[in-house]
Amino acid sequence: MQDTLTALVAKAQPEFAALTTRPEFEAAKARYVGPNGELTALMKQMGTVPKEQRPALGKLINETKTRLQSLLDAALAQIEAAELQAQLGPAVDATLPAPDIGPGTYHPLTLVREEMCRILRKVGFTVADGPEVETEYYCFDALNTPADHPARDAQDTFYLPATAKFANVSKQNPEEKYLLRTHTSSVQIRTMLKGEPPIRIVSPGRVYRRDTTDATHSANFHQLECLYVDKNVTVRDLKALLDYIFASLLGKDTKTRFRPHYFGYTEPSFEVDLTATHLPKVKKPWIEIGGCGMVDPTVFANVGYDPEVWSGYAFGMGLERLAMLLYGIDDIRYFYQNDVRFLKQFA
Amino acid sequence: MKISLNWLRDYVALDASHDEISRAITFLGFEVEQIIRTGAPKLSHVVVGEVLVRDKHPNADKLSVCTVNLGDPLGVKTIVCGAQNYQVGDRVPVALPGAILPGNFEIKQSKIRGQSSDGMMCSAKELGISEDAAGLLILADRPALGAAINDVLPPGDTVFDIEITPNRPDALSHLGIARELAAWFKLPLLSPQEIFRGAIDETAGAALRRDLLTSVRVDCPEDCPLYTAHIISGIKIGPSPAWLQARLTAVGLRPINNVVDVGNYVMLETGQPLHAFDARKLGGAQIIVRRAVAGEKLTTLDGKERVLTPEMLVIADAIKPLVIAGIMGGVDSGVSPDTTDLVLECAFFKRQSIRATGKRLGLSSDSSYRYERGVDVHSSHEAAYRAIDLIIATAGGNVVGPGFRVGSDIPWQREIVVTHDYITEKLGFDIPAAEMRAAFEALEFTITREEPTAHPARGPAWTVGIPSWRDDLDRPIDLVEEVLRLYGTEKIPPAVVSSPGLLADDDPIVVFNRRVTDYLVGHDFHECVNHTLRPAKEIAAWVSASAAQELALANPFVEDQSHLRPTLVTGLLESLKLNQSRGVAVTHLCETGRIFLERDGQNVECASVGFIIAEPVAQRTWLKSNRTPIEDSFSAKHHVAALAGAAGIDFGRQPLAPSAAPFFGWQEGHSAAAGNIAHGWTARFGLLNLATVKSLGIQGKVYAGVFAILPEKITGDSSRRRYSDFSLLPAALRDIALVVDATTPSSEVQKTLAKFARAAAGNAFALESVSVFDVYTGAGVPEGKKSLAFSLVFRSSERTLTDDEVNAVFQKVQDEVGQTTAWQIRK
Repeated sequence: MQDTLTALVAKAQPEFAALTTRPEFEAAKARYVGPNGELTALMKQMGTVPKEQRPALGKLINETKTRLQSLLDAALAQIEAAELQAQLGPAVDATLPAPDIGPGTYHPLTLVREEMCRILRKVGFTVADGPEVETEYYCFDALNTPADHPARDAQDTFYLPATAKFANVSKQNPEEKYLLRTHTSSVQIRTMLKGEPPIRIVSPGRVYRRDTTDATHSANFHQLECLYVDKNVTVRDLKALLDYIFASLLGKDTKTRFRPHYFGYTEPSFEVDLTATHLPKVKKPWIEIGGCGMVDPTVFANVGYDPEVWSGYAFGMGLERLAMLLYGIDDIRYFYQNDVRFLKQFA
Repeated sequence: MKISLNWLRDYVALDASHDEISRAITFLGFEVEQIIRTGAPKLSHVVVGEVLVRDKHPNADKLSVCTVNLGDPLGVKTIVCGAQNYQVGDRVPVALPGAILPGNFEIKQSKIRGQSSDGMMCSAKELGISEDAAGLLILADRPALGAAINDVLPPGDTVFDIEITPNRPDALSHLGIARELAAWFKLPLLSPQEIFRGAIDETAGAALRRDLLTSVRVDCPEDCPLYTAHIISGIKIGPSPAWLQARLTAVGLRPINNVVDVGNYVMLETGQPLHAFDARKLGGAQIIVRRAVAGEKLTTLDGKERVLTPEMLVIADAIKPLVIAGIMGGVDSGVSPDTTDLVLECAFFKRQSIRATGKRLGLSSDSSYRYERGVDVHSSHEAAYRAIDLIIATAGGNVVGPGFRVGSDIPWQREIVVTHDYITEKLGFDIPAAEMRAAFEALEFTITREEPTAHPARGPAWTVGIPSWRDDLDRPIDLVEEVLRLYGTEKIPPAVVSSPGLLADDDPIVVFNRRVTDYLVGHDFHECVNHTLRPAKEIAAWVSASAAQELALANPFVEDQSHLRPTLVTGLLESLKLNQSRGVAVTHLCETGRIFLERDGQNVECASVGFIIAEPVAQRTWLKSNRTPIEDSFSAKHHVAALAGAAGIDFGRQPLAPSAAPFFGWQEGHSAAAGNIAHGWTARFGLLNLATVKSLGIQGKVYAGVFAILPEKITGDSSRRRYSDFSLLPAALRDIALVVDATTPSSEVQKTLAKFARAAAGNAFALESVSVFDVYTGAGVPEGKKSLAFSLVFRSSERTLTDDEVNAVFQKVQDEVGQTTAWQIRK
C-alpha cells in the first residue's frame, strides 16, 4: 500500500507540472482526488486493511492527500500566472503619447474671475449675481446717471424694443426700457434694494457696450465690481482694499495709486493705477486697472438707505483687461475665439 | 482738449518741468493722454551760419567739407557734412562744440575720416523741431549770422492733450486749467487784461447804427436765458498775427482769419463760445432767437444741408435761420474777406436744448461740446469784452454802442457748509484744517464764514461760497473730493483691510456655474466664452421665427450681432469650426452663460450650461481608432443628467420627449428634450442635425447637451441628507426579454415591468431595480419590432430569498405581460 501511494505521488508530480489549462487541471484533479480518483479508490480500500495497520496507513493516506493537494495548488498557481501573463500582452512603451483629448481647461476669464473672488472672499465679500438684461432704472437712474447722460445714448447702449417683455427681469416702473447692462453696477442696486446693510459683495459678470470690435473693444466683455456698505467707511478703507487685492494677486510689493476722476455714482471718484513691474509686455511704470470711489449719497437715497448713517465704497474693473495684463494677451478677440491652442495656455 | 503751455503761462507763472505739470494735471483729476512738444527746444551753442565753400571730402564720397561763416565774433569754421540738400550761400543752423542736441547728443571738436570738423550743421530733426531728417534745415529768410537759433526759430511749445471729465466743463479752457494748476502749485492766477470794457460808450444808445442791427429778439428764453450782441464796425478781415496763429495751431486749430480766430481763441481761453455775424448779411438788420420751423433748411459751415425741426433753436434774421444756436453757423451769414461790420454774439444756451439738437442732427462742434456740458452762466460778459479787445487789436474797427442784451444774468449764489470733522470722517485720515481752508481758497472758493463746531477739538465749520463755474459742487461730499484733490491722492496713507465676516453665501447661480464648469472641465472639456449676440437667421434656424422676433435688439451695431442668444450650442459650433479650420484637434467644448428663451409670448433670461462633443476628424494617432473612447448621444445624456443634478434636478426621473421639428438644429430620432422652461428648466441632448452641422462647414458628427434654468429657480440646496438602510443579503436576479414595437420607448416598458414586479412581490420583498441590458433587432425578431432584455433584481432586507418565492413572483410578472400588453415574451 505504501508503495502504491508513493508511486501515485511520483506519477502525479510530472503530470500536474505539465498542466497548462483549467480543463486539464480539473480533469487531472478528478483523476486523483475526485470521487472516482485513484487516491479515493485507495482510501476506499482502508476497510480491507487490518485494524492495527489502519492508523499508520491513515496517516500515510493523509500525507499523500496533502502532498497531492500541494502539487495541485502549485499547478493551479502556475496556470493562473500563465493566464494573467496571457492577458497582459507584450510590455508597453510608456513614452508613447496618451490620447490627446484633455485634460479640460478653464477659460482664462474664469481663472481670473475665480482668483479675484477667492481673494475677496477672504476679506468677507460674497459673490452676487444679477440679470444681463436690465432696465434703465437699475442700470442708470438708480446710479445717479441722468436721462440726458451720454452713457445712456442709443449710440453706446444696446436697447431692447419698447414692446419687449422679460418675465423674470423686474422693472421699477412700467415705462422704462429694457437694455443690456453696460456695467455690473446694476447688481449693486438690486442687492441693496433686496437686503439691508452692511453689505459686502463682489459681482462679476458680462456687460455690453455698443462699440466697434477691435483689439481692445468687444460688444460684450466682463467686469468685476465690489460694493461695501457699512458705517464709517472711508477713502482710506477703499485704498486699503485695492492695495490688498493687488498685493494678493501680483505680490506684496505691488502698489496702487488713485487719480481723482468722475463717476456719477461715486463721490469722490478715482481711477486706479497699479505698478506694472510684474506684468508682461507693459512698458509703463503705472497702468490703469479700474475705477472706484465712495458711494454717492444720492445712490443710497435711491435705494432707501440713509446717507447720514451709511457709507460705502465701490470698485470696478474689466476682467478682460486684467487677464490681458496678467497673461500678456494683446488682443481681446482671442477670449471669444476659443482657439484651443489659446485655451490650453492658462490651465 | 489740447492745452498749450505757452498759453497757460499767460495766466500762471509755471516754471515746473513738463513732467511735473503733467503729474499735477493727472492728480488734479484730468487724464493727460499725450504730451506734444512743438518748435525748437532751448538750445545753446547753436547759431546761424552761411555756407561759403563746399568741397568734396578727400576720403569719403558722400561727405563734404564746408567753410561756414558764423559772422563776428565766431568767425569762419570748417565743418564736415553728410547732407546733400544745401548750396553755397544757404544759411543753416550750426551746432558748435558744447551744444547738447535733443537725445543728449553732445557736439565736440572732432575728426571725421581724417578731416577735422568744428561742429555740425543740423537738420530739423537733429534740433528736435520736427521729424524732417531729409537734409539740413535751410533758413530761407536768412537771419543774421551768428544769431542764437532760439532767437530765429519760432519758440517751442508743449501741448498737453487732456481728457476732461464731463463734470468739469470749467476745465475746457486754458483759464480753467490755469486755475487748477495755480491752486496746485500755489501760484497766483492772472486774468487777461481788459482794455475796451471801460471805454465803451454805454450812453451812446443802441440806435447808433440802426442800419446794422435794429433789434434782438429772443422768442424762447427757456432755451436761451441770455443773449448779448455787440456791433463792431470798420474792421478789416485779414490773417491773424503770428502769435495768435501759433497758439491756435499748437492746439490743433487751423487759422482762418482774424475775426474767426479771435472767436476760437476766446472760447479756448475762457470756455465761452462766441459767434460773429457779418452785420450786412442780417436780413432786416434783426436777430431773432427762435425755434426752427418744421422743414426749414440751413446749410452749415461743414457744407451739409440740415433739415430743421421745431425743437431746434436757431439764430435767425428777419428772413431765415442763420445759425444752429450754439452748434454751428450757416455758410451764408459768417464772416467773409470783405466783411467790414460785425455783430458779435455771446450767449447762454441751455445745455439740454443744445444736446438734443446736436444729437438729432448728428452734429457736434467745439461750441456745442461746451454748451452741452455747461458753460459758466457768468462768463459771457468777460468773454465778449475779451473778444472785442482782440478783434479791435487784430482787425481794427470800433465798438458801436453799448450792445444789445436780452434776458438777464442768471442769479448765482451757492454756499455749502462743511466741517473739518466731516471731511476727516469721510477720508479716514487727518488733513490740518488750515490746509483744507487753503485748498478752498486756492480754487477761488470764498470762505464766507468759519466757526468753531460744538467740539472745538474737531476743527471748524466753513461756509464755502462756490463760484459760478463750479456748478458740479453742491454738497459737502463734493468738497471732500476738492480737498483730497489738492492734498494729493498719492498721500492717502496705507491701512490694513478690515474684514468682518458677513455670514453670507455666494449667489446660488454662482455656485451652480462653478459646479457645472468644474464637472465639465473635469470631464476633459475646454471651457469657451462666446458672444451673447447672434445673427437673426441663426435664431430662426435653431429655435423659431417668433423667437427671432422676440429676441431682437432695438439698435444692433452690426448685422451678425443683432439678437440675444437662445442657446449656447451655436457659439460652441462656431468655436469648433474655428479650431477645425485652423487644423487644431478638438472634441470637447463647453460654456456657461446667460441665454434668452421665449415663454408664453414673453422672454426669460436663463442661466445655462452647454457642451458639444465632436467626432475626432482626421486625427492621426498611434492608438488604434477603436481605442478612441466611444462618445454618442448617451454620453451627452450622461453629462446633461449630471448638469441638471447640479441644479438639484433628478434627471433620471424626468420624462423625455424625442426632438422633432422645429428644433432644426437637433437630429430627429437621435436627440431628446426634458423639462419645460415654463416650469423652470429645460434640457436637450443628443446628436446635432447632420445637415445643419455640415452646412456650417463642420466635419464629422457633433453630439451636444444643453441645460437651462431660470436663475430664480436655482436655490442653494440646504436640505440635510438622510441615511436609509440597505440590505446586506444577496439579491435574486431574473431576466426577461420582450419583443415590442421598434418605436416603443424602453422607459415605457421598463416602467410597466417595474409596476408589474412591484405588484407581484407585494409586501413580501422588494423589487430593487429593473434595468435594460440588451436591445436587439435582427434574426428572430420580426420587422418593425425590437427585443428589449431586462434584468429584474429582487431583494429582501430580512432573509435570503428562495428560488421558489422569486419564481412565483416572476411568473406573475410574465403572466401580467402576457395578459395586459401586446408585448411578446421572447423565450
